[in-house]
Amino acid sequence: MKRTVPMMIAMIGGIIMMIQYFIPHQVSQDVFNYYTEWAPLVGSFALVLGVGSLTRVHIHKIRAKAPNWPYSYAVLIPLYLIPVFAFFLPASIGGGTGKPSVFDFMYSRVQIPIQATMFSMLAFYIASAAFRAFRAKSALATILLVTAIIVMLAQVPIGDLFGRWLPDTGLWILRFPNLAAKRAIELGVGFGMLATCLKIIFGVERGWLGGAGE
Amino acid sequence: MINWEKFLNIDRRWLYLLIAVVVIVPFFIRMGLPVVPSDEVRSIYNLVDSLGPDNAIFIGWDFDPGTEAENQPMGVAVLRHALDRHVPVFITAVSPLGQGLAEQGAASVFDTRIPGNFVYVPWAEWEPFRAAGYVGRDSLESAWKAAGNSLPEGARGWVFEGVDFALLGYLPYFGLVVLGMGTSIATQYPTDAYGNNLREMPMLRAHKNLREIDLAVTLAGSTACMYWVVYGTSRVGLPVAFGVTAVMATDYYPYIQSGQIVGMMGGLRGAAEYEVLEHEGGHTETTGKAYRGMDVQSLAHILIILFVILGNIAYFAGGFHKKTALKSGR
Amino acid sequence: MLKHLELLLLMVLLPFGIAQAQEVGPQDATAPAVDSSNPSDSSAVSLDTALEVVPPVEIAPPGAVTVSDFPNDAGDHLLVSFEPSPDEALGILVYRIYRRTPGATDGTEEWAVVKTVAAGDHTEIVDGYDPDYLVTQGTQYEYRVAAVTADCREIPGEVTVAQVVGRGEWFHTEKLKVLIGCIIFISLIFYYFKRAQMCHELYLRPIPGIDAIDEAIGRATEMGKPILYVPGLSGIEDVATIASLTILNRVAKKVAEYQTPLRVPNRDPIVYTVAEESVKQAYMEAGRPDSYEANSVFFVTDSQFAYVAAVNGLMTREKPATNFYLGMFWAESLLLAETGSLSGAIQIAGTDAITQLPFFITTCDYTLIGEELYAASAYLGREPKQVGSVKGQDACKGIVMTLVTVGIILSLVDIFTGGATDPSKSLLLKLQGLVDVTSLE
Repeated sequence: MKRTVPMMIAMIGGIIMMIQYFIPHQVSQDVFNYYTEWAPLVGSFALVLGVGSLTRVHIHKIRAKAPNWPYSYAVLIPLYLIPVFAFFLPASIGGGTGKPSVFDFMYSRVQIPIQATMFSMLAFYIASAAFRAFRAKSALATILLVTAIIVMLAQVPIGDLFGRWLPDTGLWILRFPNLAAKRAIELGVGFGMLATCLKIIFGVERGWLGGAGE
Repeated sequence: MINWEKFLNIDRRWLYLLIAVVVIVPFFIRMGLPVVPSDEVRSIYNLVDSLGPDNAIFIGWDFDPGTEAENQPMGVAVLRHALDRHVPVFITAVSPLGQGLAEQGAASVFDTRIPGNFVYVPWAEWEPFRAAGYVGRDSLESAWKAAGNSLPEGARGWVFEGVDFALLGYLPYFGLVVLGMGTSIATQYPTDAYGNNLREMPMLRAHKNLREIDLAVTLAGSTACMYWVVYGTSRVGLPVAFGVTAVMATDYYPYIQSGQIVGMMGGLRGAAEYEVLEHEGGHTETTGKAYRGMDVQSLAHILIILFVILGNIAYFAGGFHKKTALKSGR
Repeated sequence: MLKHLELLLLMVLLPFGIAQAQEVGPQDATAPAVDSSNPSDSSAVSLDTALEVVPPVEIAPPGAVTVSDFPNDAGDHLLVSFEPSPDEALGILVYRIYRRTPGATDGTEEWAVVKTVAAGDHTEIVDGYDPDYLVTQGTQYEYRVAAVTADCREIPGEVTVAQVVGRGEWFHTEKLKVLIGCIIFISLIFYYFKRAQMCHELYLRPIPGIDAIDEAIGRATEMGKPILYVPGLSGIEDVATIASLTILNRVAKKVAEYQTPLRVPNRDPIVYTVAEESVKQAYMEAGRPDSYEANSVFFVTDSQFAYVAAVNGLMTREKPATNFYLGMFWAESLLLAETGSLSGAIQIAGTDAITQLPFFITTCDYTLIGEELYAASAYLGREPKQVGSVKGQDACKGIVMTLVTVGIILSLVDIFTGGATDPSKSLLLKLQGLVDVTSLE
């Protein structure tokens, strides 16, 4: 039962959505709209479970005095305090989501800079990966390496100093050989996706059921 | 004799330091390398340039702070260009963070302390003029001027909220929002991000759904840009242009070739190209942040290429290519 | 998942979507009015007012209005065409298309301007796009087209009762090619399901990344260190995530047998619940439910880079011996894999995100490329139906490869003969029509 019901829902839902795609009639549009209204609802409920998990893990760490347990407070306090400020406290003491507010401060002065910092770390990691792992081990790897250097130079204005041939070659590489390879992979991915979807609809693939699938 | 093994195992923090130096120095010493606009960017610019007050565009601030450095200059450049052409601009966001960034982007264009910016007139501020029936752009501006308002020195013009500009903001499940806007924008966004009734806004009454929109420029650091193509282009024929991060740009060339998207700004370079075109077209007095960032990017690329070359020299000179102990994954 | 299938089908259909003509006319602002950009011009206007105006120069009104059903819709659009005024050149600027609902015999019913088109432009519009004046299925409307001159005079044409009413269709004729493609694909998959079940030995080429999974788990066990499993950063609707969860189930079984600690941080709350259930079940099946740690599968945050910070922190502190990155990844791929590489872990990655593949290939020991990730569950389980589906995919790819090859040959023939060979040209055009269906963009 635990297994059959979800599989039946997936099968019926999947087949209906497949058929719906080919029917422009209002009945079919209503089915589609009905489905799309449900999807956000389910997602919202799951978030509660997620927050519950995060809380449980960190309370466990604090109780067990696991290594670095004080950091768990740094997770839990903002997790619960910021929504309180944003939705329950008056603007006079920094509540609300307008400007100025605790929420706005945490967003624009903490979250934005931290996220930008994390992303910009890519530059450092790319440099280190380039030094450590990008080797001309074989003829094919050498072609890859030379291509990468041309494309990198073509992407920046300094490449223009070598002459127009360099950016043009870089663009040509991106538009043609690169695209050919991508399309080949994408085609495989597309068929793979379709096959997986069919396997789910017809109950062959059950990984998505969690434990109930096996 | 160089110890190649030691060289290859150099503490990575030295590499990080070199990158940091290369990134910081060009901010102080300008190189001003020439940026030649590509066809992909030029086509977006030309389309926006061909529009006027009777048209309207969407700019989707569909990115998070992580990719702000690349995406934000694109948004600012297109917004500035559209406003200079008096093309009404609707702004949406795929995430709450994106809305915050959109507000920041717009604020930078409306900061009148800096010459070349626009004077923002909020919806409530021109309410008396609305009540008097001035809702067309030209008549409103004339009446606004006649009421004694004058542009500060260096400002390029007024931007009337609801006529030239509307920040619609963030809504969850954005794919469905784009799908819904194909039928009616106001059904999805009954109010703008500041709670103003959208149905009362002249720009919405002239452009009720995505069929009546001439271009949507989506700025994204993820696949969020595809919502506009899947639900906008394919369903209602909305012309879409992409502003994506450099690493994603390679993914979307097929969409240009198939004509599904109008053009594409790829990474900071794409933004810089747009700024150059805008400057050449007389829409801005100077180029912006992206153009300045090109010096940084040029040097960083050169340094990374040097790292690759040095790494390979050490690899071969040290004879590591003959050993099999190294990781052999593909 | 269903959303994904639908999305993919939509993507397949994109070329048709573009081909569908968009009814574009100049905005209502082109209509001459007191304030030319006043959009309220498109709101309901009484035609009677216009009728009172007597034109000083005789201009013939627009001619007959023809209404037909719009194909492949839900019955909420009508195609309206009209004959332009023969005196168009005498100063007609635009035509306004008015509509009203029936039953307005007393003349009080207001006409609504549903569209304004510039004179000399197209004379056919699709009614029903304007959200303020929707077309209702089965309702018979009345139409009237009025010509508007430069001096703001309206010359109304005859009132026409629509010849048809809007009707919804039960099959989208333009999707026929997609349907045929789907039928071929599904049939091939089922054929190979059956073939595999009939005990035909089907060969699957070995994939080093999948073969290395057991070895990587063994290594962690030997070292007494945990295994980190990142199921991608996407939601459950992503097929890559589903493929990843299937692999997680099998990895967890091995992990339970070897009694190795497992860490599964999640970004999506739904994926978290499924992953937790999956791992719990794997421990039970391995006969070691007591070894399952309640906190081994956990939700971190739905913020991309905050998630990366948390996982990188975990790698730096706990130094897992083996890292799996299987599923959908974006810009965080290098941040994760490079940190893992620094911590000295053996790393196995797999994703269908093409832009992230180079980062994984550079920093990980093994990488499953694109569809290899989807095929992994077939490789690990070797159930006949799973293996059959992989063969079915191969057969479909074979068909596409054949079409592409034929297309290339025909294109080359076309280029070298300068388009002189008609048979190859027409064959090429037919093929291009077919490839539109199979395009995955």
